[in-house]
Amino acid sequence: MLESLFAFVNKIDVASSVWVSSSMGMMLGGWLAAGLTIFMFSFLYKDNPFFKIAEHLYLGAGMGWLFQVSFFSVWMPKIWEPIKSGEDYLVLIPALLGLSLIAQFVPKISWVSRYGFTFVMGYGAGLSIPAELSTNFLAQISGTIVPLFSLGEPCLTGAALWGAFNSFLIFFGLICVLFYFFFSLEHKGAVKKVSNIGIYFLMLYFGAVFGNTVMGRFSLLYGRFDDLYKYSGSNYSYASIIIFFALVTFFVGSHFVDKKKKLKAK
Amino acid sequence: MLRKYTEKFLKMDRRLIFALLTILMFIPLIKPLGLPNKAVGVSCQQVYDFIENLKPGGFILISLDYDPSTRPELHPQAKAVIRHAFRKDLRVAVMTFLPGSTGLIEEIFATVPKEYNKKEEIDYVVLPYQAGFVAVMTQLGSDMYSIYDKDKNGNPTKKMPVMKGITNYDDMSAVMCITGTALLDQWVLYAGDKFHVPMLGGVTAVSQPGYGPYLQKGQLKGLIGGMKGAADYEGLIGKLGKGTTGIDVLNLGHLLVLFLIITSNIILFFMKRF
Repeated sequence: MLESLFAFVNKIDVASSVWVSSSMGMMLGGWLAAGLTIFMFSFLYKDNPFFKIAEHLYLGAGMGWLFQVSFFSVWMPKIWEPIKSGEDYLVLIPALLGLSLIAQFVPKISWVSRYGFTFVMGYGAGLSIPAELSTNFLAQISGTIVPLFSLGEPCLTGAALWGAFNSFLIFFGLICVLFYFFFSLEHKGAVKKVSNIGIYFLMLYFGAVFGNTVMGRFSLLYGRFDDLYKYSGSNYSYASIIIFFALVTFFVGSHFVDKKKKLKAK
Repeated sequence: MLRKYTEKFLKMDRRLIFALLTILMFIPLIKPLGLPNKAVGVSCQQVYDFIENLKPGGFILISLDYDPSTRPELHPQAKAVIRHAFRKDLRVAVMTFLPGSTGLIEEIFATVPKEYNKKEEIDYVVLPYQAGFVAVMTQLGSDMYSIYDKDKNGNPTKKMPVMKGITNYDDMSAVMCITGTALLDQWVLYAGDKFHVPMLGGVTAVSQPGYGPYLQKGQLKGLIGGMKGAADYEGLIGKLGKGTTGIDVLNLGHLLVLFLIITSNIILFFMKRF
């Protein structure tokens, strides 16, 4: 029964991939991509039903994709096939532990999920605590407080002096920022001055992060615009342009309808 | 009179800014300006130098963990790095922990290997999506075939020419993670530091500053950041792509932001005084 279902799903998969790569499939794909992108951007003007459609489709399609990839890449080769071939029945143990997590949604048997969670917690903590301590704590301390000059190497070269300055700056910045977050001493006098310098270091970091964030967002926007430009060509039957103007017409129309309704209400 | 206009400017409808930005960003798409990208980032150069110094036949494991939401920044990075690896005759294995990446990986390997006459199973292998990144990362340190016994097409990996002599991290020249998530941190944690395999990274511009400590400590041998990093890398390998064409758009967008910030601040400065 399951075998024939998998075969059927595979047939659909093959047929759909053949259709998608055909010229008609490519054009419809372009219309869909351009339409959904413009629908999503339409929220910048105001909330509207097209945005809602695109939002729900995005969530639904995302979940569908996640399910099929997990099913065919993990569940089938790692659980179903070893059991079916009688190669390895031990995979049932992690599979049952994983399935036990779903019991959380059924109040009467939700206690079953504890077995799965216990395993996840114990395994996760055992692996992550020593690794985190070593990589993100101890290694970073040794990376912050480094010797200004290396033994046996010339100190008065430009590179050595620049390296020493960098090492000192990192150490100095760290101390100042730590002072800013130390609340058991009243921030006045020398402590205030040091913690104020710490604020400048923090501001520099936030500035760098904000600058990079702006650049990142523009890059993402460019990606969508690039696709919209591609789909505005004749090989996609001017999808982006037609959908854009259709949406503008909708907004202009709905503006006048709303205005009429308001006047009537008055 | 002037005050009235300046107040109007400061209370500008934000939708006007969106419209202005849209127009400005479409200009280089329609007619590329060809603005140069002259400053190559230090950490990006480090990635290039590291791969450039690997011997032909070396094995590089690339984890492509990004989905369509960060595609504009990371897809050009991934393409550029894979092109560089193929140009250097390195063996490439690609894996992912994100279901959304699988389609994008297929897209890369449908075109890039042909440019360098590379064959699947001989020069490169695409491994299937796997869940549970911690288990996979740690298991790759002992025997990678216990996780990846088959490639994405269901063919056994152990006998593939591309996998010859590869059992775990010890046999790999480097591991690279290109991601829009925090998975690079996990790679440093569970692979780079634990098994002492050289780690390289590619991340979005938003998360780039956070990786400074790893670079400074040498836990990362190099890092490509955002679309600018992709443009840098494309310039370094001499094969320009979407990263480079994006530089025009980024420059114009940044100029608009700078103009708005500076103008608003000048107006506010004078309004407070007069």
